[in-house]
Amino acid sequence: MAAVQETIDQVRLIDVDQYKYGFESAIEMDKAPKGLSEEIIRFISAKKDEPEWMLAWRLEAYQRWLTMDEPNWARVDYPKIDFNDIHYYAAPKSQSGPKSIDEVDPEILKIYEKLGIPLREQEILAGVKSSKIAVDAVFDSVSVVTTFKEELKKAGVIFMSISEAIREYPDLVRQYLGSVVPTTDNYYATLNSAVFTDGSFVFVPKGVRCPMELSTYFRINEKNTGQFERTLIIAEEGAYVSYLEGCTAPQRDENQLHAAVVELVALDDAEIKYSTVQNWYPGDKQGKGGIYNFVTKRGDCRGHRSKISWTQVETGSAITWKYPSCILRGDESRGEFYSIAVSNGHQQIDSGTKMIHLGKNTSSRIISKGIAAGVSQNTYRGQVSAHRRATNARNFTQCDSLLIGDRCGAHTVPYIEAKNATAQFEHEATTSKISEDQLFYCLQRGIPEEAAIALIVNGFVKEVIQELPMEFAVEAQKLIGISLEGSVG
Amino acid sequence: MTAHIPAPMTAAESALMDAYAAQLGDLPGDGAVLSARDTLLSELKAAGLPTRRVEAWHYTDLRALLRTVPTYDATAFVQPVEPLTAGSAVLRVLGGHADASGAPEGLDVITYAQSLLDGSAAGDLAARGDEDAIGRLNGSFVRDGLEVSLAEDSVLAQPLELQIVQSAGQSHLRFPFTFGARSKATVIERHLSQGDTASLISSVSDLIIEDGADVTWILVQEQGASDTHLGQLNFELGADAQFRLFVINAGGKLVRQEVHGVVNGEGSDFKLRAVNLMGGESHTDLTFTLGHDVPNTTSTEIIRNVVFDRARGVFQGQIRVAQDAQKTDAKMACNTLLLSDDADFSAKPELEIFADDVQCGHGATVIDLNPTHLYYLQARGIPEKRARQMLVNAFVDEVVEELEDEAVVAALEGIIETWLDRHA
Repeated sequence: MAAVQETIDQVRLIDVDQYKYGFESAIEMDKAPKGLSEEIIRFISAKKDEPEWMLAWRLEAYQRWLTMDEPNWARVDYPKIDFNDIHYYAAPKSQSGPKSIDEVDPEILKIYEKLGIPLREQEILAGVKSSKIAVDAVFDSVSVVTTFKEELKKAGVIFMSISEAIREYPDLVRQYLGSVVPTTDNYYATLNSAVFTDGSFVFVPKGVRCPMELSTYFRINEKNTGQFERTLIIAEEGAYVSYLEGCTAPQRDENQLHAAVVELVALDDAEIKYSTVQNWYPGDKQGKGGIYNFVTKRGDCRGHRSKISWTQVETGSAITWKYPSCILRGDESRGEFYSIAVSNGHQQIDSGTKMIHLGKNTSSRIISKGIAAGVSQNTYRGQVSAHRRATNARNFTQCDSLLIGDRCGAHTVPYIEAKNATAQFEHEATTSKISEDQLFYCLQRGIPEEAAIALIVNGFVKEVIQELPMEFAVEAQKLIGISLEGSVG
Repeated sequence: MTAHIPAPMTAAESALMDAYAAQLGDLPGDGAVLSARDTLLSELKAAGLPTRRVEAWHYTDLRALLRTVPTYDATAFVQPVEPLTAGSAVLRVLGGHADASGAPEGLDVITYAQSLLDGSAAGDLAARGDEDAIGRLNGSFVRDGLEVSLAEDSVLAQPLELQIVQSAGQSHLRFPFTFGARSKATVIERHLSQGDTASLISSVSDLIIEDGADVTWILVQEQGASDTHLGQLNFELGADAQFRLFVINAGGKLVRQEVHGVVNGEGSDFKLRAVNLMGGESHTDLTFTLGHDVPNTTSTEIIRNVVFDRARGVFQGQIRVAQDAQKTDAKMACNTLLLSDDADFSAKPELEIFADDVQCGHGATVIDLNPTHLYYLQARGIPEKRARQMLVNAFVDEVVEELEDEAVVAALEGIIETWLDRHA
């Protein structure tokens, strides 16, 4: 079909250079020297004014990290990372703990404006009252500002940067930090444990339904810096919270490392909804530069009837290595994973989830939609397992891949492990290109081809988009559009 | 980072090294064959037996599972048995010794020992890659087997049975088969054991199916409850060729059967149907890889597993579609009945797609028997045990019934029923 060929050619022509968040901001930075050593870790810990136990925890992780090998099982290919050629700490210089948003460096605010982040409270207040969103903005290594803190506090919700939380609620942090992703977990999580610089901390107490969406924006700005943020969210009995993170970075020739850890803890009857719109710089059309996104995200459904739901829209990063997981420990707990992973140019994505069924009557659902274009490689890798005592574990997995162009690859690698006769697992995966029948149907009704492809792709990912908080569904749809521009219009 | 310190050799690994040293003098072949053996053994020694860190062996940690290696025993007594279907031509490998006589017309048969002795086998011995532990083990120790070729345009009217019987010790066998263009044949590769003594078999079949050939290959593995079976079947499929492969695993303590195929002729079609019956304390692994390398080919795979007792089952299936292989249609389904809380089953169905104009899919399910179905049968006065058997039987029989030859279907159904009587 000639028309389709045209589209494919167009996809080939487009490149990821259209990354519109690729500006660099001139802000004075306070950086640690390059390299990783005990001194650097002590430096980070001192900068953050951390208690002794935190430093000890970091140093222990560092010692452990030294004995570990970089994982190489993922279907991604990149030159060896020199971990001593990275700044492990970078902070905007004027940062002396802004009390309110007005004290924040206007340059930073400008960046967020460019990012289109509704950081200013008044902007949000000007909008619909019920769709308020509290934002924690992390700039390179430090959290710059957290909005709506006071209002959240009234509801009993703690939402602040993790460095603040370590100082203000050390017992709470100490109780939960590393309880889902231990410092021994994997190479990148261990590295993160040693050098994490900031991130968000959320605590929703018993019976509280968090009154607004919480959100964090991460941005890597400095050259040669790594970003290692740590997010910890705890929902006590019966609590509910919905949290969204977004990420961007400037365009740079060299690769930058992002190794975050996210830990979620849901106690009895609690529910955590965690959404990600990941749009790190993916590199240029030759595959030069871009972020290495090596992230460990895990939720622990510790309580009975608890629920954790991950939704991710992955359009950025040169390399994505990310498996948001659920440990279904509580009886009748539920895990969900909804993912859209779009790869174009030279991007490589190896992403998926793990659903570990431990409790009785647990259920999980995985919907993964991969769209590969250009010369990208897009892999779904997921694990579903039911342990001996996980009676009536139930999983449904669907992973569909759509290929646009014949130089990209789509791969599916599910691991299905049942150790219980009452487990009921269903997995299905398909790979295809846009159906000519569907396209023909649209064209025949006078829909131009570009619009038709956009329509079909949107239909393809609809199940996942629906799971995003409304405010971000629109953003996500736009992002997918930009990522595939030329093919989906 | 820390330097990699090789783990000390396990008892089985040392036993293999010792066995090689002991057998070296009388393994057939010298020169190139011997140097190929030496290379394979040194690779095996360097890598050790694979652990779960080796991706292809993720669910079958051979290093931990292979505890002992029975010593080679050239004199173990073995008796020939009747073929699975009456009227089949039979080629026998008894106690590791192949007999090339008894081949029907149109077949050219020599023993593999002969090919090893005259050196013609040297080129085939290399392993498939870094993770090919079976290839390394088999290539180091191989003594015999059968090298068979079917002439162009010949048709075998009756099935050909390869009867491989072992009673003790170890045997390492190879079966290179060439099916000439437009030939047609049904081959039954049947692994049996006699007596209760543990034995170790490694068996590699290399099939070349030329353009337009139509081949049905039935692999029946019914070894003893203490036996280790390490099998590998490699095939290449020519243009417009048809290949149907049936695998039935109904025995063994530690079983790994690999199937590796390359579809490199346009218009060809491949079907894999497998029934894995697992019980007792066994570990059974079916690992399958298929490469679609040219446009316009089709493949379907249906794998049915039944797991009882404390058995562990594994299915790994990987379909690769190369960039040029447009219009590939590949579908794989792996369905498992997990019937005991002490049993487990792991599946890893993979798709690796580099072409865009394809239809590929896989499905995997793990379930228990449907209680409504059981109730339906019991309500009609069928005792529970019998009802369960009927349902399990129906689950696997569907696959077997696809075979054309009714005598073969009946024979395989017999094997399944006997097995279910013992385990269900």
